[in-house]
Amino acid sequence: MRYTQYINSLLKENVRKQSGTVIFGQNIDAASCLSGLTRGLSSESDGLTINTPNIENSLVGIGFGLMLNAVSSIFFMKQQDFLLLGIDQVVNTYNIIRQTQPLASFTIFPVTVDSGYDGPQSALNNFDDFCSIAGVEGYSFTNKADAESILSNYLIKPGFRILSTGQRLLQQETLDIEVIDQDADCNYFQYKAGDDVSIVCFNHSLPYGLGLSEVMLERGVNPSLFSVNSHLNAEFDQIVKNIKNTGKLVLIDDTKSRNRTSDRFLLNVLNSCTLQETFVISPLVSNESFYPCKDLLNIDYAEITSAILACINS
Amino acid sequence: MDTQKLNIVKKIIWLRLAQVLVNQRYKNGDFKIPIHLALGHETIAVSVDAAMQEQDDLFLTHRNVHYNLARMGTLKEELDEYYLKESGLAEGHLGSMNLSNPEKRVIYSSSILGNNLPVGSGFALGNKAKNKDGVVFIVTGDGALEEGAFYENLLFLSANQLPVVIIVENNDWSLGTRIDERRNKIDLKKLTDSVGVDYLSLQNNDPFDYLDKLESCRTNTLASKVPILVEVKLTTLGYWYLKNKDNPEGKFINYHAGPAPEVEEKKDEYPMILSSNGDPLFPLTKYLSMADLIEFSNELTEKLKEELS
Repeated sequence: MRYTQYINSLLKENVRKQSGTVIFGQNIDAASCLSGLTRGLSSESDGLTINTPNIENSLVGIGFGLMLNAVSSIFFMKQQDFLLLGIDQVVNTYNIIRQTQPLASFTIFPVTVDSGYDGPQSALNNFDDFCSIAGVEGYSFTNKADAESILSNYLIKPGFRILSTGQRLLQQETLDIEVIDQDADCNYFQYKAGDDVSIVCFNHSLPYGLGLSEVMLERGVNPSLFSVNSHLNAEFDQIVKNIKNTGKLVLIDDTKSRNRTSDRFLLNVLNSCTLQETFVISPLVSNESFYPCKDLLNIDYAEITSAILACINS
Repeated sequence: MDTQKLNIVKKIIWLRLAQVLVNQRYKNGDFKIPIHLALGHETIAVSVDAAMQEQDDLFLTHRNVHYNLARMGTLKEELDEYYLKESGLAEGHLGSMNLSNPEKRVIYSSSILGNNLPVGSGFALGNKAKNKDGVVFIVTGDGALEEGAFYENLLFLSANQLPVVIIVENNDWSLGTRIDERRNKIDLKKLTDSVGVDYLSLQNNDPFDYLDKLESCRTNTLASKVPILVEVKLTTLGYWYLKNKDNPEGKFINYHAGPAPEVEEKKDEYPMILSSNGDPLFPLTKYLSMADLIEFSNELTEKLKEELS
């Protein structure tokens, strides 16, 4: 099943559970329904479903207004860059809302456009920056298990947050991998528990971490593999404990944010661990990054594996 | 004059006195927070307060002192908020520009131009989702209607048939510039017509005329689900003169925020500031003598002193 279809099924399941939820956004119940993401949601919900005008700034404020009236809502957004138009509401209105004890839920669900070749605009992949400027909770998901946990925990829950996944993943088959541990608040998930190296993935980079893990396992290196799904929280004792144990870290982050959760995480790690080997992999953002081009990290799994092996054998 | 009308007259005078008192303390340097006084806005605030029914809600801007006071009918809690005391209306957490009072149905106030319009629209959508009959009053100004949010919300309210009254307080000024110094005139009648929103103009500060028309607006929008925009022409009282090399004689700048040092309280006609319809107290003299107005003022001054003692 494609990830879009899988997420669509989870959205339906969670909307069905919560009576009276207002669902709104542009084309959410018309034409392609955001490439299938929101198809059929209106028939699962007994609340209002609104195909809105193109008024993103207002739509964010409308969600907060619904929240003040104790009505839960989800605002679906085709591209994360549209949310730039609503940043006044995300920051300034939320600064008042956060002082209250909201009875209702407001979730903004933008798709992060990371499929590449979109050109200078319409390719914003900066979830961390949104969460940072507003101090708002944000969670991304990349596979079957984390999407199920995050959407059942956060899609409709009193309070405000942003949830997102990548367009590239939505176009692919659903990644189905076993979770061996997870944080109760879905801040991170663990997929492998080896003693040789800790691989920690941020934003939508888990597929890279899996690719690296497979190469390492083929060469006899046992990695631990984590994905950090939170875009606000960056202190995770369990992951730091694992890194202390392995003494080797590969950090992968495919965001273009300049204020990265992974940087805060890394600072925390460097302050508390002595590392034998560290790889930090993130996009090189230059003018050329904004030309129409593929939006992929170019990682040499074999070279990293060799370096980790050398470290183990030294 | 019947009791309801007398109460409205007295509330307008009281609102003037309360703001003059705030201004005096502001001039004394009592407040750390910025306050946007609304001397000259008393009639519209009292009329909106009187037109609102129990199930109605109000969304305000940074200049909200008049509506908050009109809704409360007392000064102390708002004054304490300005002092950032725990006994303040919002326990000192909101100050002036964001002051709301959910108990009195003042749901939200925003210091960002145009920001309260979508929040008010969302609240109105919430009423629709809950099948609740209530009108949402959203106050904005001639500066905020230049923002995209203003247009966006006219579209949204109209498309979703939401019973909302948008009050545009048009005082001709945004910070230190008049409308004709910053943009072309906007014909709100034509604009609202084009997007399916009703329009009404109010001016001259006659409180009974305002109340009649606002009550009709409320009834009509609730029945028709057609939102209505009410443009209120008014004067924000207070001014200063900008002196620089381009304006050696001084250029008139209308009051925006802070203490209003150039409000002249007429000694013989206190608390009236202007002898024209630009001052909400002046049209009251159609309905009562100056002597009565001054007597009410003295009586209400004593009441304020008592409240704050």
